[in-house]
Amino acid sequence: MKAIADILKEIRPEFDFTTSNDFMADGMLDSFDMVTLVSTLDKTYGISIEGTQIVPENFQNLQTIEALVRKYGVQL
Amino acid sequence: MTRVRTVDEVFAAIQQVKAAAPAFCTNFFPVQKKLQDWITHGELRSESRNGAAFFFREDRDLQHFYFCGGSVAALESGIGSLTALKTERVVADLVGSEAALKDLRGCLEKAGFRRYSQLQRMARAAHSSQPPVSGVDAPVVFAEASDKRAISELLESSFDHYADQLPTPYEIEAAIEAKQIFAVKCDGELAAILFFETQGFTSTVRYWVVAERFQSKRFGASLIRHYFATQSAVKRFILWVVATNENAVKKYQHYGYAADGLIDHVLANEMIQA
Repeated sequence: MKAIADILKEIRPEFDFTTSNDFMADGMLDSFDMVTLVSTLDKTYGISIEGTQIVPENFQNLQTIEALVRKYGVQL
Repeated sequence: MTRVRTVDEVFAAIQQVKAAAPAFCTNFFPVQKKLQDWITHGELRSESRNGAAFFFREDRDLQHFYFCGGSVAALESGIGSLTALKTERVVADLVGSEAALKDLRGCLEKAGFRRYSQLQRMARAAHSSQPPVSGVDAPVVFAEASDKRAISELLESSFDHYADQLPTPYEIEAAIEAKQIFAVKCDGELAAILFFETQGFTSTVRYWVVAERFQSKRFGASLIRHYFATQSAVKRFILWVVATNENAVKKYQHYGYAADGLIDHVLANEMIQA
Protein backbone atom coordinates (compact mmCIF):
# COMPACT_ATOMS: atom_id res chain seq x y z
CA MET A 1 0.00 0.00 0.00
CA LYS A 2 1.39 3.37 -1.03
CA ALA A 3 2.26 5.60 1.93
CA ILE A 4 0.59 9.00 2.40
CA ALA A 5 4.02 10.66 2.61
CA ASP A 6 4.87 9.35 -0.88
CA ILE A 7 1.61 10.71 -2.31
CA LEU A 8 2.28 14.11 -0.77
CA LYS A 9 5.83 14.05 -2.12
CA GLU A 10 4.44 13.54 -5.63
CA ILE A 11 2.14 16.57 -5.24
CA ARG A 12 4.75 18.83 -3.61
CA PRO A 13 8.21 17.34 -4.16
CA GLU A 14 9.98 20.35 -2.66
CA PHE A 15 8.76 19.62 0.89
CA ASP A 16 9.60 17.01 3.50
CA PHE A 17 6.18 16.22 4.95
CA THR A 18 7.59 13.94 7.65
CA THR A 19 9.02 16.93 9.54
CA SER A 20 5.87 19.04 9.87
CA ASN A 21 2.96 18.81 12.31
CA ASP A 22 0.89 21.46 10.55
CA PHE A 23 1.07 21.47 6.75
CA MET A 24 -1.16 24.55 6.37
CA ALA A 25 0.68 26.71 8.92
CA ASP A 26 4.02 25.67 7.40
CA GLY A 27 2.82 26.67 3.92
CA MET A 28 3.23 23.15 2.55
CA LEU A 29 -0.40 22.67 1.51
CA ASP A 30 -3.12 25.18 0.67
CA SER A 31 -6.83 24.72 0.09
CA PHE A 32 -6.29 24.11 -3.63
CA ASP A 33 -3.69 21.41 -2.91
CA MET A 34 -6.21 19.83 -0.53
CA VAL A 35 -8.65 19.33 -3.41
CA THR A 36 -5.88 17.75 -5.54
CA LEU A 37 -4.85 15.54 -2.63
CA VAL A 38 -8.41 14.31 -2.05
CA SER A 39 -8.73 13.33 -5.69
CA THR A 40 -5.35 11.49 -5.54
CA LEU A 41 -6.29 9.69 -2.31
CA ASP A 42 -9.62 8.63 -3.87
CA LYS A 43 -7.86 7.19 -6.93
CA THR A 44 -4.96 5.59 -5.06
CA TYR A 45 -7.02 3.83 -2.40
CA GLY A 46 -10.27 3.34 -4.35
CA ILE A 47 -12.30 5.38 -1.86
CA SER A 48 -14.58 8.40 -2.08
CA ILE A 49 -13.88 11.01 0.60
CA GLU A 50 -17.07 12.92 1.38
CA GLY A 51 -17.28 16.70 1.08
CA THR A 52 -17.92 16.98 4.82
CA GLN A 53 -14.49 15.48 5.48
CA ILE A 54 -12.63 18.02 3.34
CA VAL A 55 -11.71 20.35 6.19
CA PRO A 56 -8.23 21.60 7.19
CA GLU A 57 -8.22 19.56 10.45
CA ASN A 58 -8.19 16.33 8.44
CA PHE A 59 -5.19 17.45 6.39
CA GLN A 60 -3.08 18.96 9.15
CA ASN A 61 -0.33 16.32 9.16
CA LEU A 62 0.47 12.73 8.18
CA GLN A 63 -1.36 11.28 11.20
CA THR A 64 -4.62 13.13 10.54
CA ILE A 65 -4.61 12.18 6.83
CA GLU A 66 -3.88 8.55 7.74
CA ALA A 67 -6.75 8.62 10.25
CA LEU A 68 -9.03 10.01 7.55
CA VAL A 69 -8.32 7.29 4.97
CA ARG A 70 -8.57 4.59 7.67
CA LYS A 71 -12.17 5.71 8.24
CA TYR A 72 -12.82 4.41 4.73
CA GLY A 73 -11.36 1.00 5.52
CA VAL A 74 -7.89 1.58 4.08
CA GLN A 75 -5.16 -0.36 5.89
CA LEU A 76 -1.86 1.46 5.79
CA MET B 1 -29.50 38.61 2.74
CA THR B 2 -28.05 39.27 6.20
CA ARG B 3 -24.76 40.72 7.36
CA VAL B 4 -22.46 38.06 8.84
CA ARG B 5 -21.50 38.87 12.44
CA THR B 6 -19.27 35.96 13.48
CA VAL B 7 -16.93 33.44 11.89
CA ASP B 8 -18.97 30.66 13.50
CA GLU B 9 -22.04 31.74 11.51
CA VAL B 10 -20.09 31.13 8.30
CA PHE B 11 -18.84 27.70 9.32
CA ALA B 12 -22.30 26.73 10.60
CA ALA B 13 -23.89 27.66 7.26
CA ILE B 14 -21.24 25.68 5.34
CA GLN B 15 -21.58 22.71 7.68
CA GLN B 16 -25.35 22.69 7.25
CA VAL B 17 -24.93 22.41 3.48
CA LYS B 18 -22.22 19.77 3.81
CA ALA B 19 -24.29 17.64 6.18
CA ALA B 20 -26.90 17.01 3.52
CA ALA B 21 -24.53 17.05 0.56
CA PRO B 22 -24.66 14.33 -2.06
CA ALA B 23 -21.97 16.17 -4.10
CA PHE B 24 -20.71 19.20 -2.21
CA CYS B 25 -19.41 21.97 -4.45
CA THR B 26 -17.89 25.31 -3.52
CA ASN B 27 -15.65 28.17 -4.53
CA PHE B 28 -15.30 29.27 -0.89
CA PHE B 29 -12.07 28.35 0.90
CA PRO B 30 -12.03 30.87 3.74
CA VAL B 31 -8.88 31.39 5.76
CA GLN B 32 -9.92 32.23 9.34
CA LYS B 33 -7.86 35.44 9.57
CA LYS B 34 -9.21 36.89 6.31
CA LEU B 35 -12.74 35.86 7.18
CA GLN B 36 -12.47 37.63 10.52
CA ASP B 37 -11.17 40.78 8.80
CA TRP B 38 -14.09 40.80 6.34
CA ILE B 39 -16.59 40.38 9.20
CA THR B 40 -14.94 43.02 11.39
CA HIS B 41 -15.15 45.50 8.51
CA GLY B 42 -18.79 44.61 7.79
CA GLU B 43 -18.03 43.37 4.28
CA LEU B 44 -19.66 39.93 4.35
CA ARG B 45 -23.34 39.08 3.80
CA SER B 46 -24.92 35.66 3.49
CA GLU B 47 -28.07 33.90 2.42
CA SER B 48 -29.01 30.21 2.60
CA ARG B 49 -31.65 28.62 0.41
CA ASN B 50 -32.54 25.34 -1.30
CA GLY B 51 -29.57 23.35 0.04
CA ALA B 52 -27.01 26.03 -0.75
CA ALA B 53 -25.29 28.86 1.12
CA PHE B 54 -24.23 32.07 -0.62
CA PHE B 55 -21.81 34.75 0.53
CA PHE B 56 -21.21 38.22 -0.88
CA ARG B 57 -18.14 40.24 0.04
CA GLU B 58 -18.32 43.98 -0.59
CA ASP B 59 -15.21 45.41 -2.24
CA ARG B 60 -15.14 48.91 -3.81
CA ASP B 61 -17.96 48.97 -6.41
CA LEU B 62 -18.38 45.19 -6.63
CA GLN B 63 -19.37 42.09 -4.71
CA HIS B 64 -17.23 38.92 -4.64
CA PHE B 65 -19.56 35.93 -4.83
CA TYR B 66 -18.92 32.66 -2.98
CA PHE B 67 -21.16 29.62 -2.85
CA CYS B 68 -21.47 26.22 -1.15
CA GLY B 69 -23.94 23.81 -2.71
CA GLY B 70 -25.02 20.34 -1.70
CA SER B 71 -24.88 19.57 -5.43
CA VAL B 72 -24.75 21.50 -8.70
CA ALA B 73 -28.55 21.07 -8.93
CA ALA B 74 -29.03 22.59 -5.45
CA LEU B 75 -26.74 25.43 -6.40
CA GLU B 76 -28.65 26.06 -9.61
CA SER B 77 -31.95 26.05 -7.77
CA GLY B 78 -30.76 28.57 -5.16
CA ILE B 79 -28.71 30.87 -7.36
CA GLY B 80 -31.59 31.75 -9.67
CA SER B 81 -33.45 33.64 -6.98
CA LEU B 82 -30.56 35.82 -5.74
CA THR B 83 -31.61 39.37 -6.53
CA ALA B 84 -28.11 40.77 -5.93
CA LEU B 85 -26.95 39.03 -9.11
CA LYS B 86 -29.33 41.21 -11.10
CA THR B 87 -28.82 44.50 -9.30
CA GLU B 88 -25.14 44.65 -8.30
CA ARG B 89 -21.74 44.23 -9.94
CA VAL B 90 -20.67 40.69 -9.02
CA VAL B 91 -17.52 38.66 -9.66
CA ALA B 92 -17.01 34.95 -8.96
CA ASP B 93 -13.77 32.98 -9.06
CA LEU B 94 -13.70 29.28 -9.97
CA VAL B 95 -10.35 27.60 -9.40
CA GLY B 96 -9.42 24.29 -11.00
CA SER B 97 -9.04 22.73 -14.42
CA GLU B 98 -11.39 23.54 -17.31
CA ALA B 99 -12.80 20.00 -17.33
CA ALA B 100 -13.41 19.82 -13.57
CA LEU B 101 -15.29 23.11 -13.54
CA LYS B 102 -17.48 22.57 -16.59
CA ASP B 103 -20.73 21.96 -14.64
CA LEU B 104 -20.16 24.77 -12.16
CA ARG B 105 -19.36 27.22 -14.91
CA GLY B 106 -22.47 26.17 -16.79
CA CYS B 107 -24.52 26.77 -13.66
CA LEU B 108 -23.08 30.26 -13.14
CA GLU B 109 -23.49 31.13 -16.81
CA LYS B 110 -27.19 30.23 -16.59
CA ALA B 111 -27.39 32.74 -13.72
CA GLY B 112 -25.99 35.49 -15.96
CA PHE B 113 -22.23 35.21 -15.42
CA ARG B 114 -19.77 35.23 -18.31
CA ARG B 115 -16.04 34.78 -18.65
CA TYR B 116 -14.25 37.99 -17.67
CA SER B 117 -10.60 37.00 -17.19
CA GLN B 118 -8.43 33.99 -16.55
CA LEU B 119 -5.52 33.81 -14.13
CA GLN B 120 -2.93 31.06 -14.04
CA ARG B 121 -0.82 30.06 -11.08
CA MET B 122 2.95 29.93 -11.58
CA ALA B 123 5.42 28.33 -9.21
CA ARG B 124 9.16 28.45 -8.73
CA ALA B 125 11.36 26.17 -6.66
CA ALA B 126 13.72 27.91 -4.25
CA HIS B 127 16.80 26.41 -5.90
CA SER B 128 15.86 27.70 -9.39
CA SER B 129 18.69 29.57 -11.03
CA GLN B 130 18.36 33.31 -11.52
CA PRO B 131 19.17 35.24 -14.69
CA PRO B 132 22.55 37.01 -14.67
CA VAL B 133 22.64 40.49 -13.15
CA SER B 134 23.08 43.21 -15.76
CA GLY B 135 23.75 46.30 -13.69
CA VAL B 136 23.66 47.67 -10.18
CA ASP B 137 20.52 47.02 -8.14
CA ALA B 138 18.56 50.01 -6.82
CA PRO B 139 18.24 50.24 -3.04
CA VAL B 140 15.18 48.37 -1.77
CA VAL B 141 13.43 49.33 1.50
CA PHE B 142 10.32 48.23 3.37
CA ALA B 143 7.29 50.38 2.60
CA GLU B 144 6.27 52.65 5.48
CA ALA B 145 2.92 53.80 6.84
CA SER B 146 3.32 57.11 4.99
CA ASP B 147 3.46 55.17 1.66
CA LYS B 148 -0.07 53.76 2.08
CA ARG B 149 -1.84 56.21 -0.22
CA ALA B 150 0.85 56.00 -2.93
CA ILE B 151 0.76 52.19 -2.82
CA SER B 152 -3.01 52.22 -3.16
CA GLU B 153 -2.88 54.63 -6.11
CA LEU B 154 -0.16 52.61 -7.84
CA LEU B 155 -2.15 49.38 -7.50
CA GLU B 156 -5.46 50.94 -8.57
CA SER B 157 -3.89 52.46 -11.68
CA SER B 158 -1.94 49.35 -12.67
CA PHE B 159 -4.43 46.52 -12.12
CA ASP B 160 -8.04 45.63 -12.89
CA HIS B 161 -9.91 45.54 -9.59
CA TYR B 162 -12.58 43.22 -11.01
CA ALA B 163 -10.04 40.48 -11.77
CA ASP B 164 -7.03 41.09 -9.55
CA GLN B 165 -8.51 41.13 -6.02
CA LEU B 166 -6.79 44.35 -5.03
CA PRO B 167 -6.12 44.87 -1.32
CA THR B 168 -8.31 47.10 0.82
CA PRO B 169 -6.71 50.05 2.66
CA TYR B 170 -6.66 48.02 5.89
CA GLU B 171 -4.92 45.12 4.10
CA ILE B 172 -2.25 47.51 2.80
CA GLU B 173 -1.83 48.90 6.30
CA ALA B 174 -1.45 45.39 7.77
CA ALA B 175 1.00 44.37 5.04
CA ILE B 176 3.17 47.45 5.70
CA GLU B 177 3.17 46.65 9.39
CA ALA B 178 4.03 42.99 8.72
CA LYS B 179 6.88 44.09 6.41
CA GLN B 180 5.32 42.43 3.38
CA ILE B 181 5.84 45.28 0.94
CA PHE B 182 9.25 46.06 -0.52
CA ALA B 183 9.64 49.42 -2.24
CA VAL B 184 12.03 51.36 -4.42
CA LYS B 185 11.85 55.10 -4.00
CA CYS B 186 13.21 57.79 -6.28
CA ASP B 187 13.75 61.25 -4.77
CA GLY B 188 11.35 60.32 -1.98
CA GLU B 189 8.65 59.21 -4.42
CA LEU B 190 7.32 55.65 -4.55
CA ALA B 191 8.59 54.19 -7.83
CA ALA B 192 7.97 50.45 -7.51
CA ILE B 193 6.68 47.86 -5.06
CA LEU B 194 6.67 44.12 -4.51
CA PHE B 195 3.80 43.05 -2.24
CA PHE B 196 4.13 39.48 -0.94
CA GLU B 197 2.85 37.03 1.67
CA THR B 198 5.06 34.35 3.18
CA GLN B 199 3.43 31.47 5.02
CA GLY B 200 5.94 28.92 6.30
CA PHE B 201 7.85 27.45 3.36
CA THR B 202 5.68 29.10 0.68
CA SER B 203 5.76 32.69 -0.46
CA THR B 204 3.28 34.38 -2.80
CA VAL B 205 3.94 37.51 -4.83
CA ARG B 206 0.63 39.36 -4.78
CA TYR B 207 1.64 42.44 -6.78
CA TRP B 208 4.87 43.47 -8.42
CA VAL B 209 4.65 46.79 -10.20
CA VAL B 210 6.78 49.69 -11.35
CA ALA B 211 5.11 53.09 -11.87
CA GLU B 212 5.02 53.92 -15.57
CA ARG B 213 7.43 56.85 -15.49
CA PHE B 214 10.01 54.84 -13.55
CA GLN B 215 10.08 51.88 -15.93
CA SER B 216 13.28 50.67 -17.69
CA LYS B 217 15.41 51.61 -14.67
CA ARG B 218 15.79 48.02 -13.36
CA PHE B 219 13.62 48.79 -10.31
CA GLY B 220 11.48 45.71 -10.92
CA ALA B 221 14.55 43.48 -11.20
CA SER B 222 16.02 45.00 -8.05
CA LEU B 223 12.83 44.26 -6.14
CA ILE B 224 12.47 40.64 -7.15
CA ARG B 225 16.15 39.87 -6.62
CA HIS B 226 15.93 41.39 -3.16
CA TYR B 227 12.74 39.41 -2.49
CA PHE B 228 14.32 36.06 -3.43
CA ALA B 229 17.45 36.88 -1.44
CA THR B 230 15.52 37.69 1.74
CA GLN B 231 13.14 34.70 1.74
CA SER B 232 15.84 32.20 2.68
CA ALA B 233 13.50 29.73 4.44
CA VAL B 234 11.07 29.57 1.50
CA LYS B 235 11.07 26.45 -0.66
CA ARG B 236 8.24 27.33 -3.02
CA PHE B 237 7.42 30.68 -4.61
CA ILE B 238 4.03 31.14 -6.23
CA LEU B 239 1.94 33.87 -7.87
CA TRP B 240 -1.18 34.36 -9.99
CA VAL B 241 -0.94 36.16 -13.32
CA VAL B 242 -3.47 37.02 -16.05
CA ALA B 243 -3.00 34.13 -18.47
CA THR B 244 -3.24 36.35 -21.57
CA ASN B 245 -0.69 38.88 -20.30
CA GLU B 246 2.22 37.49 -22.31
CA ASN B 247 4.72 40.11 -21.17
CA ALA B 248 4.07 39.37 -17.51
CA VAL B 249 4.14 35.60 -18.05
CA LYS B 250 7.48 35.91 -19.91
CA LYS B 251 8.90 38.06 -17.15
CA TYR B 252 7.99 35.51 -14.51
CA GLN B 253 9.42 32.70 -16.65
CA HIS B 254 12.62 34.71 -16.89
CA TYR B 255 12.86 34.50 -13.10
CA GLY B 256 12.24 30.76 -12.97
CA TYR B 257 8.47 30.56 -12.54
CA ALA B 258 6.45 28.03 -14.57
CA ALA B 259 2.71 27.41 -14.86
CA ASP B 260 1.67 24.69 -12.40
CA GLY B 261 -1.66 23.87 -14.06
CA LEU B 262 -4.01 25.65 -11.66
CA ILE B 263 -6.39 28.10 -13.35
CA ASP B 264 -8.65 30.76 -11.81
CA HIS B 265 -11.64 31.44 -14.08
CA VAL B 266 -12.89 34.92 -13.22
CA LEU B 267 -16.56 35.30 -14.11
CA ALA B 268 -18.52 38.56 -14.01
CA ASN B 269 -22.24 39.26 -14.18
CA GLU B 270 -23.92 41.47 -16.75
CA MET B 271 -23.58 44.60 -14.60
CA ILE B 272 -19.82 44.61 -15.32
CA GLN B 273 -18.70 45.64 -18.78
CA ALA B 274 -16.28 43.27 -20.54
